[in-house]
Amino acid sequence: MSRLLMSVCVGLMLTIGTSTLHASRQLNVVVILDNSGSMKGMMNRSESKIDAAKSALMQVLDKSPATSQVGVLLLNPGPQGDWLIPLGPIDRANLQRSVASLDADGNTPLGAKMKVAADALLQLREANRYGTYKMLIVSDGEASDPDLVQQYLPSIQARGILIDVIGVNMAQKHSLATQTSTYRNANDPNSLAKAIGDVVLGESSASPDDAAGQTDFEVLAALPDQVAMASLAALTAASNDPIEKSQDWVPDESSTSSHGSSAPANSGHRSPPPPKDKSPISMFQILVFIFIFAAIARAVFANLKSKR
Amino acid sequence: MFGKVSWLLALCVLFTTSNVHSQELFSGITGPLDVKEVQNSGPVNVPYITWGGDAATFYANGGLDTTPDSIYGKSGLKLKLTAGDDFVQQVKDYMGGKSPYLRGTFRMLGQASEVIGSDPRTKPVIIMQLSWSAGDHIVSRKELKTLNDLKREGKKVKIACQQGGPHVGLLYDALAAAQLTNEDVEIVFVKDLTGPDGAAEKFRTDSSIDACCVITPDMIGLTGGVDSAGTGAEGTVEGAHVLVSTQNMTRSIADVYAVRSDWYKSHREEVEKFVAGYLKGTVEVKKMRDDFEKTQRMSSEYRQLLTSCQKIFGEEVLPTLEVDAHGLLLDCNFVGLPGQIAFFNQSGNLSGFQPKLTAALDLATKWGYAKTRKGFDPAGFDYKKIASMAGVEYVEPQRIVKGESITAFPGDDLDSDTIVSFTISFEPNQTDFSVDRYGSEFDRALQAASTFGGAAVVIRGHADPTKTLVQLLTVGMKKGLIVRTGQKGQYKYYLKTQNGNQELDLNQTPAMVKLIESGAFEGASDSPLQTMQAALNLSLARAEQVKQSITQYAEQRGVNVNLSQLQPLGAGISDPVISKPSSIAEAKQNMRVEFRIVKVNPEDLSETDFDF
Repeated sequence: MSRLLMSVCVGLMLTIGTSTLHASRQLNVVVILDNSGSMKGMMNRSESKIDAAKSALMQVLDKSPATSQVGVLLLNPGPQGDWLIPLGPIDRANLQRSVASLDADGNTPLGAKMKVAADALLQLREANRYGTYKMLIVSDGEASDPDLVQQYLPSIQARGILIDVIGVNMAQKHSLATQTSTYRNANDPNSLAKAIGDVVLGESSASPDDAAGQTDFEVLAALPDQVAMASLAALTAASNDPIEKSQDWVPDESSTSSHGSSAPANSGHRSPPPPKDKSPISMFQILVFIFIFAAIARAVFANLKSKR
Repeated sequence: MFGKVSWLLALCVLFTTSNVHSQELFSGITGPLDVKEVQNSGPVNVPYITWGGDAATFYANGGLDTTPDSIYGKSGLKLKLTAGDDFVQQVKDYMGGKSPYLRGTFRMLGQASEVIGSDPRTKPVIIMQLSWSAGDHIVSRKELKTLNDLKREGKKVKIACQQGGPHVGLLYDALAAAQLTNEDVEIVFVKDLTGPDGAAEKFRTDSSIDACCVITPDMIGLTGGVDSAGTGAEGTVEGAHVLVSTQNMTRSIADVYAVRSDWYKSHREEVEKFVAGYLKGTVEVKKMRDDFEKTQRMSSEYRQLLTSCQKIFGEEVLPTLEVDAHGLLLDCNFVGLPGQIAFFNQSGNLSGFQPKLTAALDLATKWGYAKTRKGFDPAGFDYKKIASMAGVEYVEPQRIVKGESITAFPGDDLDSDTIVSFTISFEPNQTDFSVDRYGSEFDRALQAASTFGGAAVVIRGHADPTKTLVQLLTVGMKKGLIVRTGQKGQYKYYLKTQNGNQELDLNQTPAMVKLIESGAFEGASDSPLQTMQAALNLSLARAEQVKQSITQYAEQRGVNVNLSQLQPLGAGISDPVISKPSSIAEAKQNMRVEFRIVKVNPEDLSETDFDF
């Protein structure tokens, strides 16, 4: 087994495995799988990256708990569309056929697919409430729509969707490396295991458990009660509404938000770049403008012609 | 069905000589009684009371006097049905031999137990359960939200209730559900069940009365409806609402027939015919009632039955057939043959004969109706034989019923629908809920599930928010959103703002909330939102574990339980007792599983819910 295959396989299995500790029947994962043209590249002498990914997927999906809900979303549509495997209970009978149909071609529209994946997970969380909701991005390159990635990332995270990234054979860290829950290169299965294992969270500790030897209660003591209550209310009211890029996009200068220009340099919470309007409405507006301009020009031309 | 019933307007003149404001031994109410042999010539007198369950008796008998073509007539019985709403008079007639039968609720018989059980000849044999009530209610003022509120510091809650009537048992069960007794409240006994001297009028005219036990028409008159609150208009009392109802407390008030022990010994075959005929009548009456409810088309046979009820109970009690007479029948849940078997024979039925007898005698002795515990006997019928005589299919009652649970999430009106609640606590990361430690709570939950047959027992897990809050601070500090100064034990937190660092105090709460909502604390491997979600999952896992432990406990003890009533929910950190614990002891107060008895729509219930 190639290192890539092993890493992806271990990554997925750990993602699934650690989650089952808390609520085995309620693991919900969307794997965003890079099937762009670059994945045709060879992983080693005998196996391409995409073939290694297919083998890894088969193994992981085969071993995933029957009660989990897993979906595999492609960056570029396959024969069945964007979803190689729709988010839901795994249909093992059709698994082989689905994965076999996977091919690599196209670019890396990661931002657009992050929204699709997040919306699917949020819809599921709205219905199920409980469980763990994760997005696992497996990619060998940077997004071809980096602005969208930056636009969607904060609102996805603000809704409590955990994003893990596995960079496949990347020379540098993926640009999401500093902004997501975990990032590991695919050739580092051991540290990947530890990073995902750290996602398993506890409740509270009475004994000192940090480097400074402080108990949780000592850390909390100076937090005002009202702030604690309001913070809990805000945390427990995480929205399941679909991701809207405009909603979280406008920088708020009036607040202390790290989104704004006052965000500390070391916050790790990247301020998104100014929005670039790529919506169909804008294109429509341009067309309307061209049409009006052409009509005016024709009228002017006709007027001039008549004056002659 | 709730707006339809204006029956029972002149019902149950019980305890007419009783002292309104104090309890009295039942023997003192009846005075000295001589036991005489049962009159054994002519038709047998059988008392009835104003209740929907008695309509099946009329139907089986063909009216007050047995008609030849009726169910009882064909089986050779000759009965004369007589008004028995005056229960004291019933007891006098029973002891004096005018009738071998007693008709009442199990608890009313319990209150009279010392009198009727003092002579072996009159010791009651309970021969049949007719129905469970779904038409009795405790109405309270606005400030009383759940049964837990019936106990308060300082001034006792005052509850108006008819002395010795069917509501005494309801009140006893309601208090027991909150682990209270009559010592914890002030019961103001009134003379009548309804009318000028009833509990509803007392509640309406005396503002010091906090709650009252009433029948459906009075409940509607005070509140406007079972799910409404009075506005003060049209005779309602502002803020008055149903605190608990037998629509949810479906196994509280059991209507029964008893016969004298000496009569049973000498007339067992007749008694069997009486029971079999009633069961046969029940099947047909239920079908007619349910058909009308479904189609709104009244068959001539059902119209005839309702007209008969109207004639017997009086037009002032049942002014209309479609609303009042039909509503009277809707307010009772006929138990049928499986429910009969479950009540008398099924072991592990927490609402069966033995538990009800114990509760009835507890009530009688603790509340001052009796000094000694004189019990009753069950008839001990062969129900296969009874089924054959009745011409109904013999069906064993269910035991542990598996079904879909209700679906509701914390906060989805759970508070407003909660009838009563209690809590168990546990240790951090605890997953084992042993019988040794939690057996009494499991018993209480099972008893609640049984008594509140029309309610869900929500098992609501909670998690402590300490870790989530700590993570919020530590992630905030890592990201530079929060700055901490000072030494251990004397920390101060500051929020980074455009205007520099501002101390994290009450004024900074909106800014902190905005940061959380924007996702500013997310994105790292330590995620407060993920910790919150993990706590939510953990709280559900604990609730599910508790349900599993209760189920195993019930199975081991042979207790019947309707699993669809037990609904595990996870509340996570959303509703902590202490938002910011300062010690593990305070954190443990948050680590708890709460049992809530929650109202469900009566339409969600099925007939089989009453099989055990």
